[in-house]
Amino acid sequence: MKPAPFKYAKAETVAEATALLDQHADDVKVLAGGQSLIPLMNMRLARPEVLIDITGIDELSGIEVNGALTIGATTRHVEVLRSNEVRAFAPIIAAAMRHVGHVGVRTRGTFGGSVAHADPASEIPAIVIALDGELTVAGPSSERTVAAADYFVSTFTTDMEENEILTAVRFPYPLDRARWSFHEVARRHGDFALVGVAAVAEVDDAGVCTRARIALSGVSDVPVRATAAEELVVGSTIGEVAAEAGRLAERQIDPGSDFHASAEYRKEVARALVTRALNDMATKGEAR
Amino acid sequence: MAIQETLNTGLNIQPEAEADAVLQRRKYIGMNVLRTEDPAFLTGRGKYTDDVHLTGMLHAAFLRSAQPHARIVSIDKTRALALDGVIDVITGEDLEDTVGPFSTTVHRPEVETVTRAILNSKVALYVGQPLAIVVAESRYLAEDGVDALDVEYEVLEPVMDAEKALEEGSPLLYPEMGTNNFAHIEFQRGDVDECFERADHVFKKRFHAGRFMAAPLEARGVIADWDASGELTVWSSSQVPNLVRTYTAGPLGIAESKMRVISEGVGGGFGMKAHIFDEEVLIPAASQRVGAPVKWIEDRYENLAASLHSKEVIVYLEMAVQDDGTFLAFKGHYIGVGGAWPAHPWTSLIDPLPAASLLPSFYDIEAVGWSIDAPMTNRCPLGAYRGVGWTPGHSARETMIDDIARELGIDPLEIRLKNMIPDGEEFVTVTGMKYDGGSYSASMLKVKEMIDYDGLRQKQAELRKEGRYIGIGWSPWVEPCAWGSEVAKANGFAAEFFDAASVTIEPDGSVTVTTGCHNHGQAHYTTLAQVTADTLGVPFESIRVIENDSATAVYGTGTYASRTAVVAGGAIMRAGSEVRDKIIRLAAHAMEVSPEDIDLAEGKASVKGVPDKVMTMQEIGMLAYYGGPNRIPDTEPTLTATRSYDPPETYSNGTIVAIVEVDIETGKVHLQHIAACEDCGTMLNPMVIDGQMHGAIAQGIGGGMYEDLAYDASGQFLASSLMDYLYPSTTEVPNIEIAHIETPSTVTEGGIKGMGESGTIASPVACLNAIADAISPFGDIKIMKSPIGPNDVREMLRAAAAGSNGSAPATQPADVETRLSQQAEGA
Ligand SMILES: Cc1cc2nc3c(=O)[nH]c(=O)nc-3n(C[C@H](O)[C@H](O)[C@H](O)COP(=O)(O)OP(=O)(O)OC[C@H]3O[C@@H](n4cnc5c(N)ncnc54)[C@H](O)[C@@H]3O)c2cc1C
Repeated sequence: MKPAPFKYAKAETVAEATALLDQHADDVKVLAGGQSLIPLMNMRLARPEVLIDITGIDELSGIEVNGALTIGATTRHVEVLRSNEVRAFAPIIAAAMRHVGHVGVRTRGTFGGSVAHADPASEIPAIVIALDGELTVAGPSSERTVAAADYFVSTFTTDMEENEILTAVRFPYPLDRARWSFHEVARRHGDFALVGVAAVAEVDDAGVCTRARIALSGVSDVPVRATAAEELVVGSTIGEVAAEAGRLAERQIDPGSDFHASAEYRKEVARALVTRALNDMATKGEAR
Repeated sequence: MAIQETLNTGLNIQPEAEADAVLQRRKYIGMNVLRTEDPAFLTGRGKYTDDVHLTGMLHAAFLRSAQPHARIVSIDKTRALALDGVIDVITGEDLEDTVGPFSTTVHRPEVETVTRAILNSKVALYVGQPLAIVVAESRYLAEDGVDALDVEYEVLEPVMDAEKALEEGSPLLYPEMGTNNFAHIEFQRGDVDECFERADHVFKKRFHAGRFMAAPLEARGVIADWDASGELTVWSSSQVPNLVRTYTAGPLGIAESKMRVISEGVGGGFGMKAHIFDEEVLIPAASQRVGAPVKWIEDRYENLAASLHSKEVIVYLEMAVQDDGTFLAFKGHYIGVGGAWPAHPWTSLIDPLPAASLLPSFYDIEAVGWSIDAPMTNRCPLGAYRGVGWTPGHSARETMIDDIARELGIDPLEIRLKNMIPDGEEFVTVTGMKYDGGSYSASMLKVKEMIDYDGLRQKQAELRKEGRYIGIGWSPWVEPCAWGSEVAKANGFAAEFFDAASVTIEPDGSVTVTTGCHNHGQAHYTTLAQVTADTLGVPFESIRVIENDSATAVYGTGTYASRTAVVAGGAIMRAGSEVRDKIIRLAAHAMEVSPEDIDLAEGKASVKGVPDKVMTMQEIGMLAYYGGPNRIPDTEPTLTATRSYDPPETYSNGTIVAIVEVDIETGKVHLQHIAACEDCGTMLNPMVIDGQMHGAIAQGIGGGMYEDLAYDASGQFLASSLMDYLYPSTTEVPNIEIAHIETPSTVTEGGIKGMGESGTIASPVACLNAIADAISPFGDIKIMKSPIGPNDVREMLRAAAAGSNGSAPATQPADVETRLSQQAEGA
């Protein structure tokens, strides 16, 4: 469990990082918290020839609320978990973060790293989908913004070029008035989810849902939205359609099997968790 | 002097009442003496194998097979040897002239012998098998060298299904043996057929106990320094350093007297490190070849894929039971799912043989019959792990007893109490095992009280009405302890076991004790010093215990199988009484009184009734070694004795109960609480016993609910990192409440019975039975395998809803005889 030989550079600016990426485009990787990349390298499943460490770039780290919530890519999980701004803006992020690994992992792992790594069982990508996050991506010559729905392409694959880095994740809609719920089933606390659900909803004064997002992790090669369930919920009283929405979510997904859980299990649990999340939102009111 | 006079047998553990005795330095056995080992570990100064750095030391990495079954056409070393810093690449052919084979068997006529090259670079028999060694200037470079080896495999059909491996026509791991079956053994006592004819009910079950392993935090590690004068020093993370010497000296062609094995700090052994590993031969061989010290530290992949796996047994059970729940007789067929070869020296029989031997446990049955098979498959070899085959055997038997209790409508506690042998008395079981008294029923009743069982049953009923499902799982155990010749024989292993201790009063009156056992977490330096202090009548602080190094401690076979407290403790009592006698005679002679008048306590010999006539241990030491004419005439000038002990059969017992809540929709099990009552006879140090219980129970929770060394049908290993091999962490292990009952052994020195493994024997099935109990309202729920994770719970619930019983095998198991005769025809 020692990595193959590699070269290491620590960038001080985004421009320097992207220039280096461009220069070594054949076999280069961004290094953030290293909590996913380094284990893969130690097992020689990843063998980048060059690592560009971006954790020394000041501008990539930090949490800002300015109408929207912006979390810099190299902000450590633990900072997000402890941030009062994050909790006020979107408490579901802190709730989900509690399920990400353990203290050690959260101390080094980065928010952007989790998004860029794009593990479909991971919590943060599901949150990005559920909250309609926007991803800011910088390349050697330009910066662009990618919508969450377009960002996750497949397992460990995103809509980014080799010479681009994710600089920040922006959440445009404050959830301080929304209802939300996060659930997951993992084998042990801190493991990647077998199935997870991140759900948010806005409800009008009459108790009718006006907007809903239900994202599932662990059931596909990317985090997915249970759109049929969302459509049912919008315009309804959430509690009344929770069970049916769960069934719709189950019907919409086609998960795989591994030795921890069968496809059938994942479908059943997706149904149960979607129903549970909707019932939470129905009974526990605003900003649970 | 009789031992009983000096030794408080610990019958009345009342710390407050006896605190005075401790303050007066008169009694240590039974006391919570703080561990003398801890300061080093707590300050990060433990010395593990990887902490050893030698001048000029090189580093080894292994090329390991990626194929479960293959002929190795070629291993091309060219690219590896061309790398800067790579010193040597060693394959089997390179060692043909210098390293002999391992020949592994258990000495009984039913068992085959497997003789194999220790580095086999021609045939791969499991994923992870060593194929070549790269020696380089650093571990990084050594792994680069492994990476640069070009291997050509000719893939052969893997043998993965253990039951099919026994059939005629199965591909063979060793074609020259003509069979995959390492052993077929049968055993019967009493009129089994008559019991089964007479019985109101005959129940049958197939239970597949899963593969799990010790997975110690410190994986294995070996350093060898074969120096220019032909002496070999080996550092190995082992719990049996002397056995490493005895078993590797032969294949290495070196005299044991020229070989020293050091296993100073060991970060978890759990029985896994009670084996002799191929690497313990190969690293010395590499050191000899390259003429420099060589270090190999096992990484996590190697540990998971290629150290040793354990516990996998397919069990077919039948029980003859009366309407009122009386057990008449048990029958079993145990198929140990072995790996590529028998682990050296215990073999894969270490699981099925103890599992079968303990089939009756403490149930008072009339007859028992069992058979075992030990097929080899293309998996990692199977070897000992805390509780050995008692774990799978116990899980199969005790899940079945819960099935029967549910079927007959009897409470699982009641059905067990009804069939239990009496407490307190010696008892010879139907198999011939000699139990030395226990608290079989009392421990169950104690736990019943601890958990408020009746109240809990009421709560269970109420919660069910709310759609919440809690379950209570009983698991009372009896554990064969103190692995000596007799207990080994009772479990089917006919070989000799013993251990030894030396007790020496140094000239300054301090005490040095050495034993052939091995201290790796059990706090021997504390508990054995407590034994010594009480035996000699000296202060605890004056005693130093030495183990873990073949050059500084007496020869013995090491620590495993809950043996050290009894075996080394007994040897210390024997050697200590001899030394004590010498001290008393010396002191009596010097103070001119008769030996009966000497009181030896607190490190002083005083004359009874004459308080100012006293000799300190230092005075006695100086007198013994340098007293010249003042010594007793014609005595030798040392105060030392070395004795060994091979105890009679002894058995500890107890009960574990697990309480769970199951989330029906997700199958997720929340293990809420564990309560246990254990009885290991005389307790040396209750705090250490609690620690052993906690650790062993946690490991058993892993085996019951999480850990699964799964292979796919093509023989690929699926649990190759800690992302997939899930041991329970602090968040999965609940509060564990432990009570003690002391029923001293009627047969061992000091009444000590030994302990340490029972948690891993009994906690898996406590969890399994609790899960079944929780979800039993949903239909016919039977646990047929371990571990049970959320996916399995959902499967059982689905099957129950569909009307068939939970996770039933495709066909009803054929009865044991039919299976055997079919097999005999096949063979
Ligand atoms: C024991 C353990 C348990 C874990 N449990 C969980 C869990 O339950 N849930 C969970 O979600 N995660 C879990 N993780 C993963 C953890 O959250 C990681 O921190 C995260 O997946 C990756 O973030 P990182 O900063 O460590 O990225 P790295 O490991 O440094 O990088 C991961 C990948 O993303 C790329 N990358 C990183 N940052 C950027 C960027 N800004 N721009 C472009 N590419 C980038 C890298 O090139 C690499 O390919 C666990 C990790 C461990 C070791």
